[in-house]
This record gives sequence, C-alpha cells and structure tokens, in this order.
Amino acid sequence: MTKRLAGALITSAVLTFGAAGASTAAECIAPANPGGGWDFTCRQIGKIMYDIGAVDKPVQVTNMPGAGGGLAFGNVVNERSDDADLIVAASTATTTRLAQNAYAGMTADQVRFVGAIGADPGVIVVAADSEYQSLGDLVEAIKADPGSVAFAGGSAVGGFDHMKPLMVLKEGGFTDITKVKYIGVDGGADAITQTVGGFTQAMTGDMSEVVSFLANGDIRVIAVLTDERVPGFEDIPTAKEQGYDVVAVNWRGLYVPKDISDAQFDEWAGKLQQVADSPEWAQAMADNGLAPFTKVGGDFQSYIDGLVADIAGLSKELGVTQ
Amino acid sequence: MDILANLAIGFGVALSPYTLFLAVCGCFLGTIIGALPGLGPSNGVAILIPITFTLGLDATSALVLMTSVYYGAMYGGRISSILLNIPGDEPALMTTLDGYPMAKAGRAGDALVLSGVASFVGALLATIGLMLLAPSLARVAFLFGPAEYFALYLLAFCTLGGMASNNQAKAALAACIGLGIAMIGVDSSSGLPRLTGGNLHLYDGIDFLVAIVGLFAIAEIFFFIESHGKGSSIGVKLGKVTIPWKDIMATRWTMLRASGVGFIAGILPGAGASLGSFLAYMTEKSIAGPKGGFGTGVPKGIAAPEAGNNSAAGGALVPMLTLGVPGSGTTAVLLALLMTLNITPGPTLFSERPEVVWGLIASLLIANFVLLAMNVPMVKIFVKILMVPAWVLLPGVTMISFVGIYSLSGSYFDLLLMIGFGVLGYFLRKLDVPTVPVILGILLGGKMEDALRRAMTLSDGDPMYLFSSPIAIGFWIAAIAGFVAPMFLRGVLKKPEKHPTDGPVD
Amino acid sequence: MASDRIFGLITLITAVAYIAAATQIQTNFFSGEFLPKLFPLMIGAVAALCSLSIIFKPDPDPAWPQPPTWVSMAIAVVVLAFYAVLLTPLGFILPTVFAAGILSYQISPRIKPAILSGIGLSLGLFVLFKYALGLGNIVAYRIPTAAKLWDAIAILIPFVGGH
Repeated sequence: MTKRLAGALITSAVLTFGAAGASTAAECIAPANPGGGWDFTCRQIGKIMYDIGAVDKPVQVTNMPGAGGGLAFGNVVNERSDDADLIVAASTATTTRLAQNAYAGMTADQVRFVGAIGADPGVIVVAADSEYQSLGDLVEAIKADPGSVAFAGGSAVGGFDHMKPLMVLKEGGFTDITKVKYIGVDGGADAITQTVGGFTQAMTGDMSEVVSFLANGDIRVIAVLTDERVPGFEDIPTAKEQGYDVVAVNWRGLYVPKDISDAQFDEWAGKLQQVADSPEWAQAMADNGLAPFTKVGGDFQSYIDGLVADIAGLSKELGVTQ
Repeated sequence: MDILANLAIGFGVALSPYTLFLAVCGCFLGTIIGALPGLGPSNGVAILIPITFTLGLDATSALVLMTSVYYGAMYGGRISSILLNIPGDEPALMTTLDGYPMAKAGRAGDALVLSGVASFVGALLATIGLMLLAPSLARVAFLFGPAEYFALYLLAFCTLGGMASNNQAKAALAACIGLGIAMIGVDSSSGLPRLTGGNLHLYDGIDFLVAIVGLFAIAEIFFFIESHGKGSSIGVKLGKVTIPWKDIMATRWTMLRASGVGFIAGILPGAGASLGSFLAYMTEKSIAGPKGGFGTGVPKGIAAPEAGNNSAAGGALVPMLTLGVPGSGTTAVLLALLMTLNITPGPTLFSERPEVVWGLIASLLIANFVLLAMNVPMVKIFVKILMVPAWVLLPGVTMISFVGIYSLSGSYFDLLLMIGFGVLGYFLRKLDVPTVPVILGILLGGKMEDALRRAMTLSDGDPMYLFSSPIAIGFWIAAIAGFVAPMFLRGVLKKPEKHPTDGPVD
Repeated sequence: MASDRIFGLITLITAVAYIAAATQIQTNFFSGEFLPKLFPLMIGAVAALCSLSIIFKPDPDPAWPQPPTWVSMAIAVVVLAFYAVLLTPLGFILPTVFAAGILSYQISPRIKPAILSGIGLSLGLFVLFKYALGLGNIVAYRIPTAAKLWDAIAILIPFVGGH
C-alpha cells in the first residue's frame, strides 16, 4: 500500500518536473477560448514549430479570452512588453478591433506584427433546411424586412464576423445597417448551433469553423468571400460571382511584444517562415479550409498598416464607428 | 453489437500495461490536485498538457492520462468538501452541504466512500450514455437558444430559495451578491469596463476560485479562531473505514436519478458540471421533502451531487465531441488537447475518427474503474487528515489556498480580494445567509446575462420572447414553482425554526 | 433582530449604490445604449427588494463573539493582508513562517507548537508546491530592497480598515 503510494508520488513528481522544465519554453497566447481560430493558430503553429525543430521545447498555449482579444492585447502591452518568449495569435479580427479603437484606446503600433501564414475565407452560412438558397435571397429578404434575418457569429458585435454581412448588404444597396440583427456568441461552433437550431437565420464566420458541419450536411454555405472559389470547396459560389463584390479573408498570424530586440523579432519571423514552408502546415491548411497567404516580417507590417487604415475607413463608412 | 465492436476497438487502442500505469498516475495526481483548494480539474489538465509533449506521449496515451487526471480531480474535489467544509473546486460545492455534517458526526469515512461510489455510478452511466446516444443527443443543443438558457439559469436561482437557510430573501440576496460580482469587468460587447471603479485589476473580472477559496477556506479560519476548533470535524472520533453497504443500497435510486439529471445538464453547452450537481441535489431534496433532512448530513445529500457532477462531466463531452462546443471549463481544456493532437471535434468526428472517439470512451471507463479501485484505500489515508490538530491543519489549508490563488495570476490583488471574501463569508454565515448561491451567481452570472442580451437583440427588446418556446415556458413554470412552493409549504408544515443562536454556525 | 436589520440596511445601501453605478455604465455603438445596464439594474432591484424583506422580517440574532475574539480575528486579517503583499517581494518561506505561526497561535495559544507549525508548514508546503506540483511562480526567498518592501506595504494603506 505505502509502497504503491510512494511509487505513484515519485511518478507524479517526475511528471511534474517535466512541466516545470517546460514552463520556461515559449508561450503562445490565444486571446479566445479553445476551439476558435486564434486557438487553432497557436496550437498548430506551436506544434509545427516544435515538430520541425524551430523551437527546442513545446510551445505552451495560454487561452486568454476577453474583450474580443483586447484583454490579451492589454496584457501584452502593459505587462509583458519585453517578453521575448511570447507570441500571440492574431487575425483580421485583431486589426479590425484596433482600427475601430475597440481595444480601449490601444493602437496597432503598440505591438509588432510578425507575419501571416494562411487565410481563412469568410463565409455566410444558413441551415440546411433554410429557405434561403443564395446570397441574393438573403439580401432581398433583409431589404424587405430587416428584422426577419438575425446573424450569429463568433466575434463580438462590431467585430469582423459582424462586418462581413454588413459589407455584403452595403454592396446590395442596403444602408440602414443599424437595423441588421447580429448576436456575438462564444465561437463559430456555437454560432452554427444557434443557426441550425433556428434561433438565428444565418451564421457568419470562417471556412475552418464550418467544414465539419458542412460535411455532416447540417448547413449550406451560400457564399464564400474570396476572389476565386476555394480549392477543395469548388461547389461553393463566391459572393463576387453572385454580384456582391466583397472579399473578406481572415488571415492567421502572430504578433509579439513591442520592446523585444530586432534580432529577437527576426528570429520569430524566421521560425514562422519555416512553419509556412513546412509540409505539415500545408496539410493543416488543407484539413481546415485555409487558403495559402504568406507575408512575414517587414512586408507584413506595411500590410497591417494599410489594412488598419482600410478598415477604419470602412467602419466609418458603414457607420460602425463615428 | 455495433457498440460492443466499437468498444473493442477502443479498448484495443487504449488498454495496455503502459496506459494502465498512466491511468493510475493520472488518477492519483488528479485526486491530489482536485483536493487542494483553488486547484481544480481545469488547472490539472492545463498543467499536464505540456507534460504529454515532454514525455513524447502518442495521442491515445495522452488522452488516457488527461481523462484520468480529469476524473481524478472530479473525485478529489469532494475530499476537502467533506472533511473540512472547503470545496476543492466548484463542482464539489454542493457536497459540502451534507458531507461536512456527516464528517462532524464522525462518519467521514462513510461519506468519502459513499461519494466515491456515487461518483463512479454517475461517471459510468454518463459514459454509457455518451456511447449509446452521443450522436443523437448532440441535437439537444440545437433546441437551446438564448431564451431557453436564460430560463434554465433562472430555474437554478429560483430553486435556491429553500436552500440551507430558513429565510428565502437571504438566499436570493446571496445569489444577487454573486450575480452582481459577476458583472464586474470588461464588457465583451463594448470593450469598456463595467463597475470596476477604474481599478485595472478588476478589468478581467473576479475569478470564481478567489471567491470560493475566500468564502469557504479563509472564512473557516475566523470560525476556528472564534471557537478554537470546538464543534468542527477535526479531532472527531472516527470509526474504522468500511464500505457502507447499507447507505449505498439506500441511495441507489438517488444515484440513478441524479445521474440522469446531471447528464442532461452536462449535454447543454451552457450548463456544465456545477449546474448538474446543483440541479441533482435540488431535485433529490424536493423528492425527499422536508422530512428527508437534506443539509443535516444524510447519505442522499452526498450521493445526489456527486453522481450529478460526475455524470454532468461525462455529459459535457457530448457537445464537445459532436459539435466542438465545450460545455465547461474542463471540456474546453480537453478540446484544446484534442486540437493539439490535430483532431478537430465536430459532427463528423464519430464517423471519421472512430478510433479517437472510442479510444477516449475506453479511457474514460479505464479511469473510472481505476479510481473506484483506488478509492477505498485512499479514503483510509484521507480521513487521517482529521487527526492532524487544528492548529496545524487550518494554517496549512490557508497557506495552500494562498498559493493556489497566487498561482492563478501571481498578483497580490487576488489574495487581498480573497481575504475580503473570507471576511464577507464569516459575516454571511454568522447571519445565516447561505454562501453557495454567491458562488453560483459568480459562476453563472456572465452566461445568464449573455443569454438575456442575445434574447433582447433577437427580439428587438420584446420581453415576451423569453417565453416563446415550450422548453422556456416549462423552465419558467418550474422556476416559479420552485421559488413559491417552499414559502407555501413552510407555512403549511410549520417546520420548527432552527435558531442560529446555538453555538457557532457551520 | 438588530443584526439582520443592520445587515439589511447595509445591503440596501449597497444595492442602491450598485443601481446608481449601473446607470453610469459606459456604452458605445457595439453594445447598444441600454443592454449593458439591463442585467445589473435587474440584479440591483432584486437585491434591494431582498434587503427590504430582511429589514422587515429579521431573524433572531446570532451569538456574536466576545471583544477579545474580535481582536484576534482583526489581527488575523491584518496578518493575512501583510502575507498577501509580502509574498512577492520576500518569497514564500519567510512570510509563511510568520503567517502560519501566528494563525496557529490564535487557534491554540501555545508558543512552541505555533513556532513549530509555522516552520514545518512553510518548508513542507514549499517542497510540495515547488517540486511535487511544479507551480513555477513560487519562489523560496528574495532579498528585497527597502524601496520594494515599502512599495508592497504601501499597497495596504488604502485597504486598512477597508474590509
């Protein structure tokens, strides 16, 4: 009895020594609950970095949900601005919130964007038994009665998932956007549950969030918001070919704290490039409906600056911000 | 037959001497983590994820280790609930109500064994339910929209009225305190702080662990200073630890019913294990009626919440595996683990990756049996805690609480907050205000508000939307009945009033 | 009777203050004008009703402790508060010896067992947390500068008497 106890204790001690060692490894903050896009970014990039030997210890993933990523952003800016072992998952949603000044006054130049290595095409989804067969049906229904269609999405109100239908509606000539109903729920899977359950009429999100439900026949994707149809999903029409010229992709990438040295920044950029070039990442993208989209280093920073300016302009135009 | 064949595949994947060894280690470690105040199943699993990489475990071994830790922590949470009236984690909250009185009566061993058996029954039934029904049960989540969730949470709070206090207003006030605390922090839809008084430390809100540990563990210190340990469970003469067959047989229907209630609560992504144990306890309490003696240390009062919370934990795996929607903090961590192993849960997981699903189910069964087998011998060790003198044990528990909370954020602020909760807990218990509703309020407040706000958005602010489906109406009726019935019954039955004046309040 | 009435009055004032604070919640386009205030207002209203009910239908008074016991408990609060702020600048072991020792003494007022339990708990728990559970942010000891020590203690000044 005592012997067995001692044995178990020793084992647990050995197990936890491992943990103590690993805790000094690089950390990736996913600013949302497990299961969403940011979580995916951290876990996949972290895992591939370790598998291909870009880092010598497994990357520890921390979930820090709150304020649409604002909590994590504030934490990095205020408390860990010189932590060279820290990377944070980012996406279009990050820049959207920054552009809309939704991170309590914090700005994009308070961190450094390392790069993006894939993009998740935006989608508009309805339940499989929905009366809406095309994007046109949905837009016309909203024009006729804005209250008849409610959207569910994984981002908070005013976030990127919310912007997608608004951009489509604006293209369709509907401008009274405050009438459009949108609820932000806890991630894409939850948004689909609400839509399949009939509580909302449409779901707005990313391709990666809907793949499994699509395969199961629960939902119908009525539009993908890319220039061309997405490889692997050729039967899904783009919004563009349905007459709504809206492109909204959610790039997947990372930012790091601002006060790390240029050498440390370049090191992360190099590691991210390694991941982008790896066959493992190619496979992960194919499995999850991501389209290739690689911009790393200084190139990416200028892309971000442009994007923030664009979204800020668009938000103003759409009336989301003053 | 299909299921048996699948299960055979599962065990083929998950059962080997090595995985059994991992399961034993995981269960042991989980039990310890669960028993320490401030550390719960989510911490346990989160702490261990990096280990699976360090040890280079393959997907199946990692799953076995994780599920063992998960179940072990669920088991462990009850130990400090029963022995010291301090819940080790939030699903073990309800177990304090009857577990601690039993320990004070010298039946700590019986209570621990019984709760172990109830946990086993709950977890086993939930695993069987998961095997048989998961794909079809996933559909239940589609029936629950904002209005239904709001009514469900309301039901939970309304049934609180008759609980642990003779005065319904006090129970309701306690719930309001918890709900009010839950509102503090950055509002997710505006990104602006609410009710923080400009204090940056409050922007993330107040962690419910800080409140649990404060209200229970720290408050306990003050009671010990007041009473010098008299009238507590510590130092009570203990009988030999045996298996209380009589109690187990007497509570068999309670365990079955509680498992059912817990499992259903677990399936709903918005509910989770705490609500499962809570609803299971309240259901059994109302079935037993005022003569059932719930709250005074009856075996049914232990069997119900323990079967309920373990079964809810199993039920929570249904939406996690079939929809990718985690139903509780712990399943969220398990979901993260699956994603790290490059497995994306969703409706096609059962058909596309049967070896993963059935391997997981098999590892749950393994963890269950290992825990049951370890349970009786471990109880013999745990009851020895009560032989430690109070002047060592209580400072020890306090210091453990401090470290547990300190490990959350590394900030003094949470610690000061915890002391504040301790003082609050002392006065609340002195005044016969139950503290369990405070915790439930903090746990469920954010979700309840989200449900209300979504309902108001969808309905353009029409309150009638909250009564728009049969499910929602059913919950409303049950909620109102649950709140009104005790007042009415109390008048009719003229239950002799318990005076909180005799000696220290527990 | 009197205890419940005072308690009810305190919670009533708190509830009213909470309602007042809820009406001042900042909102913006994303959240809508009213929704962030709705639920806090509902909670405040229910809490106020409960408080009134407690004031008008109070329970019998509990047995409050004697003045010396209040002093003991106040000391415990102060000790724990100091422990909370000193854990970061001084590390785990030294503050724990004192905090655990003093608490032990207050539960059972004997000097020698109290000192022993302070030292024993401090070392034992440190080993448990650091090596068996791997909680990385527990540090054995730190030697702080006077300024850091003062910073830590200064945290408490607005808190003294604030509980």
